[in-house]
Amino acid sequence: MIEFAAIEGAYSLLTSSWSAWIWVLPGLLVGLFFGAMPGISITMAMAIFLPMTLYMDFLPAIIFLTSIYTGAGFGGSVPAVLMNIPGTSSAVATTFDGYPMARAGRHNQALGIALASSVIGTLSSYVLLLFLIAPVSRVVLKMGPLELFAVAVWGMVLLGSLAGTSLSRGLLAGVFGVLLGTVGMNTAGYIRGTMGVPWLLDGVPTIPAMMGLLAASQLLGLINTRYLIEDEASRQISLAKILGGFREALSYPSIIARGATIGVLIGAIPGVGSSISNLLSYSETKRNAPDGDTFGQGNPKGVIAAEAANSSSEGGAMATMLALGIPGGGATAILLAAFAMHNIVGGPSFIANNKDIVYAIIFSNFAQAILLLFVGLGFVYIAGYVVRVPLRYLIPSVLVVSTFGAYAISGSSSGPITLVVFSLLGWAMVRYNYPVAATVVGLLLGNLLEDNLLRTWQISGGDLSYALERPFAIVIFVLMVLSLTLSAIAKQRRRRRAATEAPVTPEIGS
Amino acid sequence: MTTDSQARLVVNWGHLALLAVIGGVVVAYLVDARGVSLRTNNLLLVQPTAILALILVAAVLPQCFRRVPEGEEAAAEPLSDLGRVGALAAAFAAFALSLETVGFDIATMLFMVVGLYICGERRWWLNLVFSAVFTVLLIYGYGAIIPFPFPLTIL
Repeated sequence: MIEFAAIEGAYSLLTSSWSAWIWVLPGLLVGLFFGAMPGISITMAMAIFLPMTLYMDFLPAIIFLTSIYTGAGFGGSVPAVLMNIPGTSSAVATTFDGYPMARAGRHNQALGIALASSVIGTLSSYVLLLFLIAPVSRVVLKMGPLELFAVAVWGMVLLGSLAGTSLSRGLLAGVFGVLLGTVGMNTAGYIRGTMGVPWLLDGVPTIPAMMGLLAASQLLGLINTRYLIEDEASRQISLAKILGGFREALSYPSIIARGATIGVLIGAIPGVGSSISNLLSYSETKRNAPDGDTFGQGNPKGVIAAEAANSSSEGGAMATMLALGIPGGGATAILLAAFAMHNIVGGPSFIANNKDIVYAIIFSNFAQAILLLFVGLGFVYIAGYVVRVPLRYLIPSVLVVSTFGAYAISGSSSGPITLVVFSLLGWAMVRYNYPVAATVVGLLLGNLLEDNLLRTWQISGGDLSYALERPFAIVIFVLMVLSLTLSAIAKQRRRRRAATEAPVTPEIGS
Repeated sequence: MTTDSQARLVVNWGHLALLAVIGGVVVAYLVDARGVSLRTNNLLLVQPTAILALILVAAVLPQCFRRVPEGEEAAAEPLSDLGRVGALAAAFAAFALSLETVGFDIATMLFMVVGLYICGERRWWLNLVFSAVFTVLLIYGYGAIIPFPFPLTIL
């Protein structure tokens, strides 16, 4: 289950230099601040800070980004509890009972419960990852180029079909991303789609494009958002009551366990992640609780269920990303881009050859979760001010920081230009309900897909019957078609149900 | 826009424009890729993916048209909201394009002033002070992390 030699390697990696540790606290703080600001998502925070990791070593860079991920997980729950605004999409279910608790004067307990559940959720998901990563790596190493191609396509299809509201729009977002990802010179030496621009020879600059799609585009959309938070009464913070919330959370281990399990499983599926897992865990807990009818009126169990699930999704998403090199959503796409920035290719061979680094990442996440407990406690004292940061200052400031980051990555105007083009594209896509995460993942995987398909073509000499010799690939393709059909049926049903409930303005052909 | 007796057909022009952009980019890319070479090593992934993308564009296209019962108004976003997004996007594009020519310091300061104004800050003194402080802090702060210098004019 666990490879002890690699664990020893991880231990020496983490203890030989302070550079791996120095970024944990700043990462957590960045995550907490940005997560707590309404409108700023986890992925946005990670995308903005991604260019800064270029000049760090690989391990500190990944630790910094995962610290942001961990911090933002709890940060998002602060405005959810205090003002009924989920700081990130993964904190939606936290508002259901967190805010009623705050209205009843129990905001300290709610924050304590959210913090304790987040910490335990993150810890348990990484414990699971610790035990699973070695066996999983042995399985994925058996995969050839055709299987890798099949898995990448499956991931894309899942992401496209599950992330958006419309199957066709989701798939189009993913397919368009794949095409953009193949621009430039391919491994066979053909140069396509560069329009004579020299810097496109290496392909579309992935990181500025990603920052544009995930961060800048959302900022453009936020300009017309007005949160009525100025009117909200400021609330007294009490350490004793927050600790009381801790104890309350710990008295429901089964809810935390259920939430964490749902979080890990859902987090591992591309396209679903923490924004769904918190809702699923909430509804499951509500269904199973004897006092289910008090959910929504300030029942602490609701907060526990939501927070345990959204924070444990991180471990699940990391499992897919580390084992297969396939990001399940925006946050892991950014981590994979950070891998690429340090000339490290994620996927089966990475995990097999660098188990010490993988274990070091896992151990660092244990430390992050525990540190979050203390940093989070301190943060709630100032959180009331953070959630009030006016968007009119935030939007241009973050746009400028992103542009500096894009320039730092590319060293020329190509980065900022790519950032602008993709932020406009992203804004339009978000506006018309296309999942931009699918385009980002497509962009990242475009090259991988083409390389693996070309390799398969070259190995097989163009003989299609080669696929029959690779039954695992066929199984993946069959599973893909099945999951696609099922999600199409589910969406159709949901739409029909919605149509019978609210029979207005039907969309033609959707 | 067409009308019949029960319902009007409302066109979502913005969505249609997005689809036109996506479709246009895909077609241009496919034509370019085919112009480079028709060999399998070049088109193995690009051609089928482009065709799939075009099929998906065709599948999404009908979603740009909605039937709205006669007498019912389709919910529309105020033009001023779109104007603000457009103005910010234009300022952002100008900022990105002018960085190297006018220098990061001037471009950042100008973009911050314009951006803050578009986003709703109407107190000029606050706008100018915040923009100036932010520009100085960012240029020196980021400059400390990045090993190569940003082209600057004043700072």
